[in-house]
Formats: sequence, structure tokens, C-alpha cells
Amino acid sequence: MAEPRLVAVLARCSDLRVEVDALTGAVSRDARTVAFSSSDAAAIEHGLQLASAWGARTLVLTAGGPECDGPLRDVAALGAEVRRVATHGSYVEELAADERALARAMVSAMGERPDLVLCADRSADRGTGALPAFVAHELGVVQAPGLVSLERDGNELIAERRLDFGRRERMRVPLPAVCSVEAAGTRLRRASLPASLAAARFEVPVAEVAVPGPAVRVLGSRAARPRPRHLPAPTGSSRERLLALTGALLSHEPPTVIGPVDASGAADALLEFLARNGYLSEARTGYAAS
Amino acid sequence: MTGYDGISFDDRMETVEFRVAERAHIVVDSDVCRSCTTKACVTACPANLFAPTSDGGILFNYEQCFECGTCYQVCNAEGALTWTYPDGGHGVVFRHG
Amino acid sequence: MTDVIVVGAGPAGSAAALLAARDGLDVVLLERGPFPGSKNAYGGVVYGRVLDEVLPNWWDEVPVQRWVTRRSTMVLTEGRALTVDFRSTDWGKAPYNGCTTFRADFDSWLAGKAVEAGAQLVTSTVATGLVVEGDRVVGVRTDRSDGDLRAPLVIAADGVKSFLAKEAVLLPRTQAKHLTLGVKEVLSLPREVIDERFGVRGNEGVDVEILGCTRGIPGGGFVYTNRDSISVGVVVSVEHLAAAKVRAEDLVADLKAHPAVAPWVEGADLKEYTAHLIPEGGYDHLPPLSTPGMLVTGDAAGLCLAAGIWLEGVNFAIGSGLEAGRHARRIIETRDEKPYRAALEETFVLQDHKRLRGAPGVVLSERVQQQYPGLIADLVQGLFTVTNPTAKPGVVKLLRAAAKNNGVKLRHLMTDGLRGGKVFR
Repeated sequence: MAEPRLVAVLARCSDLRVEVDALTGAVSRDARTVAFSSSDAAAIEHGLQLASAWGARTLVLTAGGPECDGPLRDVAALGAEVRRVATHGSYVEELAADERALARAMVSAMGERPDLVLCADRSADRGTGALPAFVAHELGVVQAPGLVSLERDGNELIAERRLDFGRRERMRVPLPAVCSVEAAGTRLRRASLPASLAAARFEVPVAEVAVPGPAVRVLGSRAARPRPRHLPAPTGSSRERLLALTGALLSHEPPTVIGPVDASGAADALLEFLARNGYLSEARTGYAAS
Repeated sequence: MTGYDGISFDDRMETVEFRVAERAHIVVDSDVCRSCTTKACVTACPANLFAPTSDGGILFNYEQCFECGTCYQVCNAEGALTWTYPDGGHGVVFRHG
Repeated sequence: MTDVIVVGAGPAGSAAALLAARDGLDVVLLERGPFPGSKNAYGGVVYGRVLDEVLPNWWDEVPVQRWVTRRSTMVLTEGRALTVDFRSTDWGKAPYNGCTTFRADFDSWLAGKAVEAGAQLVTSTVATGLVVEGDRVVGVRTDRSDGDLRAPLVIAADGVKSFLAKEAVLLPRTQAKHLTLGVKEVLSLPREVIDERFGVRGNEGVDVEILGCTRGIPGGGFVYTNRDSISVGVVVSVEHLAAAKVRAEDLVADLKAHPAVAPWVEGADLKEYTAHLIPEGGYDHLPPLSTPGMLVTGDAAGLCLAAGIWLEGVNFAIGSGLEAGRHARRIIETRDEKPYRAALEETFVLQDHKRLRGAPGVVLSERVQQQYPGLIADLVQGLFTVTNPTAKPGVVKLLRAAAKNNGVKLRHLMTDGLRGGKVFR
């Protein structure tokens, strides 16, 4: 195939230190701590490295509100094109959002068909992780999740991922593809000072995409309040119930009182008890007695 | 280790956000520390990052540093501590400071 | 072309950037944290009247937690507390007096004002050093690649550790004697519980300054109310804390366990623990406030007023920053930094410091810290303990006994009284 021309990175940008009130469950988010998670940052870094190796463009797309513009500006200072896909809606709506619709929106916001799409393996806010698969489906291309390293091999990729028991898997991934990466020690580079200064007033382009509303809608959420269990009122007088509980005045076997006896007498009594209850055979008893 | 007001030091430090940088912004020269008799940094550091080692040196962890600078102010040995700011954007992030 | 580089987007830096940018200068405001205020911590109250001139009606938009309408000064000894408590409804309406706020909120807000005025804020960037030509500062080095930035004027607002002022040999490398360490716990409590425990309503808040809660280590403690949390902490001399081999968080634990404070903090959850240094040397230990090509402002210049009953810092930072920004153009044109210092001498910034120059010495003295709390508590307990059938003892007798009991000679009381009178006149 021809030289790759566009590497798109779908990077999620969210508050990495969401506060949850322990009592009410209210979630408070802070625009100032909105950032790319370490695996999203790694995806961007991989994107920049691969694109420069191929001489391709890097396009970083983020779905979210204006709070994402700061982190996107930092990425723009690294020489990547950036675009924000405007989404509206509350946190609850977002979590239950139809990720297929989001994938569609992201793909349409790319403008042209990418040769490689990179995403983070998991989002910081415990999203479903289904977005890369939906994007791959939307584009009709292969998908390779959970990658820890990505190398260019001509116009293809050599990718590596962790398996259980410390094993690694090396794969040749044909392009176009959707790859999701783990942070695995890859850090996003920092922009130079002149680029940061230039980007400080950069207006992040916003792609307004008509995303159909989520197929599953949350009608409301509240704290879990299980119904109380129904227990029938007790019957009988309190005296009867007390007697039933304690077992007083009921006939029962009186305890056997043995003794006081000496040691051999006690041993005989024990053996006789065991034999009577079938724990010892006659022969054993005879042996013990001798 | 639980402090006597009922919260462990680890839990206390859990409340603070640290964006840990790759580079250690404080470097301790343990050879210099071996000759130090006061080791004032050990108790003075509010983040409890200085650990005396059995051979008389000092082990320093930079990850949960408040960047307050108390350690180099109380350090009386020239050259024992190299103190710089963490790389931009890294280190402690206070939200209720 | 950059005209002014402001290092540090704290209150001093943002105030300087605000006025310099309004004056039409090209201003770059560098901040090493991911957002302004992320590296800052303080003891609780911002007095905002310094902003009246430059940001009219600042009180309508400042990110306030509570307006301080009640101010208490407390003297603690083991098991005892004496409080002088004042409240004023005037402080609860415009133009207000002081407010509690978090620095992440306040500093971000003020930096936003500078950006609105045209300053260019670059976060996550450390100014690692100065670019010097001859004896003149002509720029700063940063930790970004290609990171040298040049400008005819650098305003160092890089905080108490100010490595820029140190590099310019305006500040000594270490000065533990003139620094205090503040540690603070922010404890979350429901709003109504705070209202009830502190006797306030709505957006009213309380500021409690405490003496005698630091095991004799020179310093003090504080309790402030935020909207749905309270800030509790201590501020202690770095030098003496190190010598005493006491851990700072244990002092906070002591304070929280004191019977006068424990009911306030009961059942509260720790939300954040912070620590920061404070320059408390006062007027006599201020560094030179400028060097050719560079002005020093705020904590970097030691402009923090810790004078016993007055504990202010943010307003002095803003005040010094405003003067630096106001005179930036003139200083660039004349290459003469003197107007900055002269302007500070004309305003509260240096006037208050000068007038209260002796305060740190008195407030942090051994007798005030270690003996007077006990003396006062003994005296008051003697006054109000009804000893029937024995008749009430005279005040002079009580004072003598209390002085003796705490190892204070009456002539010490006389000299300290005179000294205090002179300092706080």
C-alpha cells in the first residue's frame, strides 16, 4: 500500500481526580485537573513518532467540552493538528452514551480516511473500552488492542502486547488499523517554549457533529434503598415465647453424674460410654480392659 | 503506621495529588549525610520523605514531595542536597492549598 | 517581542502581569504548575481591598469560600483556652474585609484577569535560571526546549524559595531563621454542621488565630471555615522545628485534640494535607527588591506580614505585584528600577512592614511563645475560680502567682509590655 498519510489519535480528556462525596454520591469535577490519562498521552506520543517516521500528519481528536481545550492546545504546540468534537450532556448521560454513535461522530470528524487510528486502552473514568472496536467497525479495518510498543516496519506496524504469565506477543499489523495502547512507560514529550507561546492563544477547532442521542437513556438515578423485609408478627404470649427460646420446662435427658472416682475408674467409665455408643468394638474394649 | 489522631501517614498523603516526573528533582548525597549528626531533614520534612539507613546515610523518595523546601533550609551539610523544581507541570498539585 | 517576563502566576505575578498588560506591554506570565495556584498553600484569609482600584467590585466575582465576619484570637495551654472573639456584620457585606478561599481557585481567577488583560500565560514551565548580560538581567531560561526567553524586564514572583532572586544574589541560599513552615489539613464537614459549630450563617465565616499550641516551638495555629470544609493547621519556625525533632503533622494532631478545638473538627474527614514555607523575617530582613533588569515581588521579596494579630500575605503579594506592573513601562524606558521600591514605600506594602518591623521578634520570642500562654491562663483561671469560703484574691496577687508559676519575672512583663507597645504603636 501507499505511504500512510494520516495518523488519527482519539484521546480522551477528563478530570483525573474526580471527587465523589462518600455520603451523597455526588460527583464533582474540576476543569483545572482535566488532562489526558497516561495511556491517552502515550497514544498521542506514539502517533507523533509514527507520523514523523512516515512523514504523515497527526490529528488528535477529543470528544468533550471547552475544558478540553487546554490539553489540546498543549498537543497543538507539539505540531499535531487538533480538533474537538463537541458533546453536550451530563456525566450520567455520557457514561451510558451510545459509544457506537460516538465512534461514528469521531470518524466523521476526521474529515478523511485515516491510515492508522490510535486510542488509549482504557479510559481514566472507567469507560466501557468499546470505542476502538466501534471505530474499527465503522472504518471496516482491523483492530489490535492492548499494545505496549509500536514500531514502524515499512508501511506496516510491528506491535507488541503483554499476555498472561509475563509472555509477550509480537504482531504484524497491516494498515489501515485501529490500535489501542497502554501507557507502559511511554510519556508524551513536552513542547518547546516558542511553540507553547504560539499555542497559548490558539483557538481549538470544534467539530459540531450531530450525534444521535444514546440508544439507552438514563431516566434517573438514586441511592440504593432496598425494600424492608416483611416478618410476621410473633404468635403466643411473651411467656410462651420465652419458654420456647430457653427450652425451660421441656423434658430432656438429665446429665449423667459420675464420680467422684479415681483415674482408672474414670477411664473405665469413658470406655464404657464409648462402647455403649458404638465408638469402640468389643475386641478393643477387651484389649483396653486387659 | 497510624498517627495518634487516627489517620495513617499513607492515608494522609493519599489526599494529595502528585504528578510524578521521571526525573528526581531532589538528589541526596548519602556520603555527605553519613557525617551529619543532626539529620534534621528526617523529622522536619512534612512529607516524611527522608529515611535514615542502617549505615548512617539517608534514603530519599522524591515522588510525594510538597516542594516546600524545608529540607534544604534545615540541611547543614554543604552539598548534601541538590534541590531543583520538578519539570514543568509535574510534582504536587494542591487543590485546597 | 516580549516586554515583560513575569515568573510565577501567584497573586504577585498575576497582579504585575495584569497592570503591565493593561499598560499595553507584551507580557509573558510563566507558571511551573499545571494551573495557577496548584503549587500554593496558605493560612487561609485573603484581604482583597487592595484590588479596589484595579478590579472594581472584585467581591462579586472572587471565588470566595466564606466572608470572615468573626475573628477570634485564642491562647491555649493544656486543657485551657482563652479566646478574644469579635464579630462584625460590616465584614459580611461590600466592600467586605477578608475571605477564605483556596489558592487553586483564587490564583487561577487572578491569573485569568491578567490573561483577559492580554498577558500570555504559559503553564507547566519552570524558569530555571536567569539570562544575564554584564550586570543586567535580560531574560530567563526555562526547562522547555529552545527555552530561553528575553525581555527588557523580568519580574520575579517565583515565591518563597525564589531561585531567581537567589541566582541574582538578592536572597541567601538558606535562611531557616526567617522562614516558617505552615502545614494545613482541610477537613470536610457538611455546611450546616459548620454553621452550627461556629455560630455563623450563609456565607459568613470564622478566622481563629491560635497561640500556644506548638509545644513551645515558635509559631502558632489557625482554624478557618470554608464553605463545606475547615482548614486547621500550624505555622512554626523551621529552625526550631528541626531542632525540636518534632513532626509538623503531630502538632496539627495536638491542636485538633485540644478540648477547645476537638468539638469543631469531630467527625471530619481529611480532604487534603498541604505544606508550604512562609517568609517571616519582616522589614529588617527584606532582600534588595531589584537588580538591573529585574524586580522581586511577593514572597520572593519576603513581603509577608506575620505580626502577631495581623497575619497577611496575599494582599502584600498583590500590592507589590501591582506596583511592579504599574511602573514596568517607566522602568523599561529609563532602565532604572528605583521607582519600584519608591512606590512600595508610598503604599501599605512597605509602610506596614516598616511600622511593624519589630513584630516578628516579639511574637516569636521565647516568653511570648512558651511562658505567657500559661501565665494568662493561670491569671484568668484564678480570676474566675470561685474559691469560697476563701475570699477572692486580688488581681495583683494572682498576677504575681501566675508569673512566678510560669517563670516570668515582673520586670520581664514590664519590658515586654513596653517593647510590645513600641512595636504595635
